[in-house]
Amino acid sequence: MRIEAKNLNYTYSPKAKDFSVRALKNVNLTIEEGDFFAIVGHTGSGKSTFVQHINGLIKVQKGSGELTVGEFDLTDKKCDFKSLRAKTGMVFQYPEYQLFAETVRDDVAFGLKNFFPNLSEKEREEKVKKAIELVGLDYKRIKDRSPFEFSGGQKRRIAIAGVLVSEPEVLILDEPAAGLDPQGKKDFLSLLKKVHGSFVKTIVIVSHDMNLVSEYCNRAAVFSNGGIYKVGSPKEIFSDAAAVEGLGLELPVTAYLENELKKAGVEISSDLTEEDFINNAAKVLIKKGDNA
Amino acid sequence: MPIITAENVNFSYDKKRNVIKNLSLCVNRGEYLAVIGHNGSGKSTLARLFNALILPDSGKITVDGFSSDDKKSLFEIRKRVGVVFQNPDNQLVASIVEDDVAFGPENLGVNRAEIGERIDYALKAVGMENFRKSSPERLSGGQKQRIAIAGVLALKPEVIILDESTAMLDPKGRKEVLSVVKKLNEEEKTTVITVTHYMDEVVFADRVIVLNEGKIAMEGTPEEIFASSDELEKLGLETPLASRIAKKLKEKGVDIKGEIFTEKDLAEALCALKRKI
Repeated sequence: MRIEAKNLNYTYSPKAKDFSVRALKNVNLTIEEGDFFAIVGHTGSGKSTFVQHINGLIKVQKGSGELTVGEFDLTDKKCDFKSLRAKTGMVFQYPEYQLFAETVRDDVAFGLKNFFPNLSEKEREEKVKKAIELVGLDYKRIKDRSPFEFSGGQKRRIAIAGVLVSEPEVLILDEPAAGLDPQGKKDFLSLLKKVHGSFVKTIVIVSHDMNLVSEYCNRAAVFSNGGIYKVGSPKEIFSDAAAVEGLGLELPVTAYLENELKKAGVEISSDLTEEDFINNAAKVLIKKGDNA
Repeated sequence: MPIITAENVNFSYDKKRNVIKNLSLCVNRGEYLAVIGHNGSGKSTLARLFNALILPDSGKITVDGFSSDDKKSLFEIRKRVGVVFQNPDNQLVASIVEDDVAFGPENLGVNRAEIGERIDYALKAVGMENFRKSSPERLSGGQKQRIAIAGVLALKPEVIILDESTAMLDPKGRKEVLSVVKKLNEEEKTTVITVTHYMDEVVFADRVIVLNEGKIAMEGTPEEIFASSDELEKLGLETPLASRIAKKLKEKGVDIKGEIFTEKDLAEALCALKRKI
């Protein structure tokens, strides 16, 4: 499903003129099917307002532009939001705080029951099992345990299983790695990489972690004060160091190093992933050393 | 002289599994201490024990001479140790920013004029002075967290504990909060304990404690801790990204000199390489 916003605007409390806030200003953005897309920007830049539009948690205001997600036209009064939400799974910040059921199985099944009430007990069980195994947990061992018994990283996996169980085409995650320890973060991001392409077609993340953006995403959009400053590959986004920092963001370590070396007259041209940077840097720096 | 002392502290939430195991530790007055460890290692529990939000099952915590054993001391302990938690939504109480910041000092019985001054000071320190009359629910996550930090600053505590309180901030917000905290530590001699997963925040600390299974697994300066990258990895942690990139470049034969902890270190080492050529 392709996500396409044209001249999208949004104002909080539009009628209370002293309190109204224009959160989105003429946003034009297309996220293609298959993208691992990052939305970045300072706090209050409109990122969350935008992503909450994608699954209809925030409705497009009248006369405030267009938004389509696959075949869904979100400005249409007859838009089937329930089906839309089943296809665009949303994972909020710290999703582990939203666990609530007595057992892992009930928690993971909750969304499924709402979206697909006509499934048989057996079909539901199978989908729940599949989702839990997909996030790398042992269904048999954990299904009857309380979700609150698990560690932070495991709870987050359970919470995501509760979204993946409805088999969404688009997965939207707000700060997916915040609060996880380094190992948990690594595991969780490789889980996202695994489900992307095999299970979920498109992933959209909102993040302040630029190292994560350059390492995992193929495209990104930079929001600033409700508008879009730039859309492109991480390489394109981070090529202008001064502009990135002026927007309240920081460079990924790889981009920072390329930029510093460039100032010193050494050109390293990687795609800004760690591995590519290391390979290119080694090539350039060792070759020069050999010539000396 | 220590401001916080923990002696043989044990703690369990369910009376079955000890989350903190026979832990002893001194936090020195004016120190900047970083506590790291994987999820579930006991970091946040330790933070809660330090301000008597929870009490040890056995052993004791002493803060500025007040012991957690004595019920009458608990208020004194909490007055001295302010904690900023991970999620600001769980710690904002009022519907107007200035009321929220005033909540703590009001409870301590601070007089009205001084509360006003403390609100000014605290909101300014976190760069939110223009939001004094705003409603917290209308702020973004990062802005809310800065209000929560202001609420703690308004208590003028001796010790500030940041329990992953920058995890939800944008890079600029994070930098602002870190520089506020550094300033408080350096200028006002406030003791800072930061519980974090960001290894690049650990670099600023005077001392680092690594927790594992409720015990202290490693202790030392950031340099000492990051020198043992294999041991850190075994504990579910890692060295800062710049150190890891430096290590991999060295393995490929790039001749990097010196210890690398920050991206600045690495940039300098790589540029020095170029100058030699």
